[in-house]
Amino acid sequence: MAPASPRFAFVVTFFVLAAATAAAQSRPLVVGSSATYPPFAYETPAKQIVGFDVDVIQAVASKVGITVRLVNTPFTGVFASLDNGDLDLVISGVTISDRRRQSYDFTAPYFEARQLIAVPVASTVRNLQDLAGKKVGVVTGSTADEVASRTFGRTSANIRRFDTTPLIIAELVSGGLDAAIGDNGVIAYRAQEHKGLKTVNDPGFPKEYFGIVVKKGNTALRDRLDSGLKAIVADGTYARIYRTWFKTEPPLPTP
Amino acid sequence: MEPEPILWFGWFRADIIAEYAPLFWQGLRMTIGVTVIGITFGALLGLLVGMARLANARHAPARHLTRFLLRWPATVYVSFFRGTPLFVQIMLMHFAVVPLLMNPADGLIVSGELARTLRQDYGALLSGVLALTLNAGAYISEVFRAGIQSIDRGQVEAARSLGLSYRRTMYHVVLPQAFRRMLPPLGNNAIALLKDSSLVSAVGLSELAYAARTVAGAYSRYWEPYLTIAMMYWILTLALAYAVRRLEHRYGRGDTR
Repeated sequence: MAPASPRFAFVVTFFVLAAATAAAQSRPLVVGSSATYPPFAYETPAKQIVGFDVDVIQAVASKVGITVRLVNTPFTGVFASLDNGDLDLVISGVTISDRRRQSYDFTAPYFEARQLIAVPVASTVRNLQDLAGKKVGVVTGSTADEVASRTFGRTSANIRRFDTTPLIIAELVSGGLDAAIGDNGVIAYRAQEHKGLKTVNDPGFPKEYFGIVVKKGNTALRDRLDSGLKAIVADGTYARIYRTWFKTEPPLPTP
Repeated sequence: MEPEPILWFGWFRADIIAEYAPLFWQGLRMTIGVTVIGITFGALLGLLVGMARLANARHAPARHLTRFLLRWPATVYVSFFRGTPLFVQIMLMHFAVVPLLMNPADGLIVSGELARTLRQDYGALLSGVLALTLNAGAYISEVFRAGIQSIDRGQVEAARSLGLSYRRTMYHVVLPQAFRRMLPPLGNNAIALLKDSSLVSAVGLSELAYAARTVAGAYSRYWEPYLTIAMMYWILTLALAYAVRRLEHRYGRGDTR
């Protein structure tokens, strides 16, 4: 075998170095989102992830000059994927809570949410308290799960936990549940798909805010995302995205 | 409000498991219950289907009847349940098949308030057990078929020539011998069913995996809940393997000289 020519070695080294540098500079940040959550994030038949969350993160990214790659991750797995580095950030309708703040860093809020109850049309339920002793469906680990666990007891057999919002709605429609609780945007969207369902707004539910999640201590990325959020609110991009998905004006410059 | 964290070995948050202990105990009972029902009915179904796949007759029309009414349906059934993922079967059963047969509005078999009560109290259990039993039955039928076919033809011929009917030949001669050979694969199937029952948590049945998912969802911690149920499953499968070994020993006595 002939020895490799020095020139060949040089060319190879050059390309390897160039490729490595390019990768370090423009490695797209991996964004996790659970795409079963219209209108925040869902998959089109063409396997594209679209929604309010998607538009927000893309607008923010282009403002601060980063590229993002969206990965559809089940909600039950988003936090573990952040921890082990599979994801750089998560935008998936994640409610900012004190408990989550202990383990993750959040950006400023980008959406104001509230829990909403879906029940069969004939139901007489008017608020959360009326659901005591009834079968209540929630998405595992969601804010609704927290609320239900707090109200009815963590290990109560009346709380039925499923992986996604469509499943709790399906279970409600087929009579397996008396009610389903979830974030207002999604529950309202899902309930209007079924004639037999209506929504119940309990003003007792506290206001909540969705934030973008990064790994604990990754303040550099968080600050960058925060400045991006400020920028898209300031130039009206945020309001435009909000109108697109919710058909109303945003409550206020949230962030 | 938040309980004081209790750390074992400096990293294992034991307090989380303690907080959800009722869910884990209930989950353990449910896992054992579902497994026992699944194995029992799966074995019965497997025996029937295994024999259906072997059914044959010498002359028409019985020959055609056995083919179209027994062998073909049994073959299609086994092929479907072995050829599709159990998870898919569970989702189909709970969110599609059972609601069609049983729902408050227009269930084909049960409807009205009874359907609602049944679905609310036993819905996940019913569809979970159904899917697990049908799945196990398909695998076990192959164990029975292979076990029966492994018995030398001469045994059947000898029994028939002594004047025993087909049924008595099966019952007194073939099945006792086949059962010994079937025990190890049956044990494997039982252990597989025990572990596969964890998939039923997807339809909200409160078994072991459901308890772990609940805790993981609430705390975003994965070591504690999943290690806990891993140990519980392991102990259960060890116990099951031991029981099968005892049975093998007991029924194997006739073979040793």
